[in-house]
Amino acid sequence: MTHAASGALFGLSPLLVSLTIFVLTYAVIVTEKINRSVVALLGAGLMIFAGVLNQAEAFHGIDLNTISLLTGMMVIVAITQKSGVFQYVAVKAAKVVKADPWGLLVMLSVVTAVFSALLDNVTTVLLIAPVTLLITDALRISPYPYLFSVIFASNIGGTATLIGDPPNIMIGSAAKLTFNDFLFNLAPVAALVMALTMIPIYLIWGRKLSASAEDRALVMAFNERESITDARLLKQALFVIALVIAGFVLAHSLGQEPGTIAMFGAALLLLLRVYDQQAEEQSHLIHRTFGEVEWITIFFFVGLFVVVAGIEKAGALEFMAHKIVEWTGGDFTVTAYVILWVSAVLSAVVDNIPFVATMIPVIQSMGSTFTPQQIDTLWWSLALGACLGGNGTLVGASANLVVAGFAERAGQPIRFLPFMLMAFPLMLGSIVISSVYLWLRYL
Amino acid sequence: MTLRAVTLLPEPVCVSPDTSLWDALRLMLDKRVNHLPVCDGGNWVGLVDINDILGELLPVSARGDHGLKDLRFVGDGVPLMATHFKDLQDKPVRSVELCDLPTLDEDTPLLEAALLLHRHVRPLPVLTADGRLKGMLSRRTLLAHLISKAGN
Repeated sequence: MTHAASGALFGLSPLLVSLTIFVLTYAVIVTEKINRSVVALLGAGLMIFAGVLNQAEAFHGIDLNTISLLTGMMVIVAITQKSGVFQYVAVKAAKVVKADPWGLLVMLSVVTAVFSALLDNVTTVLLIAPVTLLITDALRISPYPYLFSVIFASNIGGTATLIGDPPNIMIGSAAKLTFNDFLFNLAPVAALVMALTMIPIYLIWGRKLSASAEDRALVMAFNERESITDARLLKQALFVIALVIAGFVLAHSLGQEPGTIAMFGAALLLLLRVYDQQAEEQSHLIHRTFGEVEWITIFFFVGLFVVVAGIEKAGALEFMAHKIVEWTGGDFTVTAYVILWVSAVLSAVVDNIPFVATMIPVIQSMGSTFTPQQIDTLWWSLALGACLGGNGTLVGASANLVVAGFAERAGQPIRFLPFMLMAFPLMLGSIVISSVYLWLRYL
Repeated sequence: MTLRAVTLLPEPVCVSPDTSLWDALRLMLDKRVNHLPVCDGGNWVGLVDINDILGELLPVSARGDHGLKDLRFVGDGVPLMATHFKDLQDKPVRSVELCDLPTLDEDTPLLEAALLLHRHVRPLPVLTADGRLKGMLSRRTLLAHLISKAGN
């Protein structure tokens, strides 16, 4: 090992110690008995106490660009969702298709995909699922196909951009890939997957959906303008979001990182919210907004980054990279497909965040075998596998579980096995499409 | 002093867990009450609140956390409630989450009873030793008792 740490516990090899902590941490995370953020932070502490890393090295492992991008976007979304704009768009979309059940399913899927591409998936489904239930309730049709499609659309939409899904944020940050890189390389295939996924959904459910003219008239009587609860807030939020997205697009040419842009956008929106208020009201509103940041996710990232930095320093990930290259015989095409398919299957059953956090240094160490262009293709394979894989089972992504929670309340529970029997083959279909896409474009 | 000294509401009107919400609602409106005790063969099961029945008329997406914050955009919405209103005839009382209330007995001190009534803001059941419903204690009953004592 090139990086033998001096102070490792009881003279044990740092590789062994770090791998033990890593495997234990991931095993406890998978059981879901203890909150994942706590487990990751404990694992991170152990890496330091065991002497694998010192505090400075641990802090160096935490990708603050990812953390600031996530936190900044969460603040922006927490403020924006209060404006009612998401409800407005969903109702508008339903009326555009005259509340036709199949048209509605397509529209809600497209709206979910677009929002998921620009926002966090969980937030998107939290906003779309209630409106979906309301409309299907009014049309007196089963919400199941709609909620199923919302799940698929959220994960597919999230694949399309740098900020769509946490794995993409991590990959973009580590590999210095820009917002535009993601848009040019992943958005086309995400759109293709979305379009092709609608075919089986139509054959299974879509062609049987029907609603009476009376019930459709009920939905057509919805007034989406009434959803906008705060017009001033809406203008402020849309202004800042437009600015932030323009920032992401131009980031590379301005020599700026997305983390700075998102955090600055969050601060700007907070300023617009509070500048005309008294000090006490200001701190109340800001305190509440910060409270809506998903700190569990943020601390989970912090802990994981340190745990992964531990095994990386001990040389385990370099070793794994060599093994993968050895196993694929250094064949680039095989390596890209192995990464795509393994990521997809694993992400369907376990959280894709720890998996991607581990795979990033592995792919980085393949730099000695492959050209930089080839490494970029491996990033796309990882992103496609990790994001689309989330559709495979109900536990594949947090957004899936949020939708299942709503379905349960509506008396139409989405059960693990029936969902998987439909979703897993559909997910594999999306990976086949991705494989063809990679083949035609990069291999 | 314990609840033994208090005269409870005469003959509480009980509904069974299988009574439809529709019938429960009619009974509440007839008796001019907001809640009914639910008993299974004389044994205390829980309390059904008129608010639970009102909740059944709302779209499921607006109930609970993270649901729709307001329904103004739905417009009139009466047809939506009307569909749910018909469903009340098929839904038994047991299908709503009954209020989980503490139970009292004849040996409960008045001060403790007053505290529980204040906290739960609903009438509380007074049970016999073998768990049968003896009567309901409302805030009015307790206060009426206290004021009559204070007058003496």
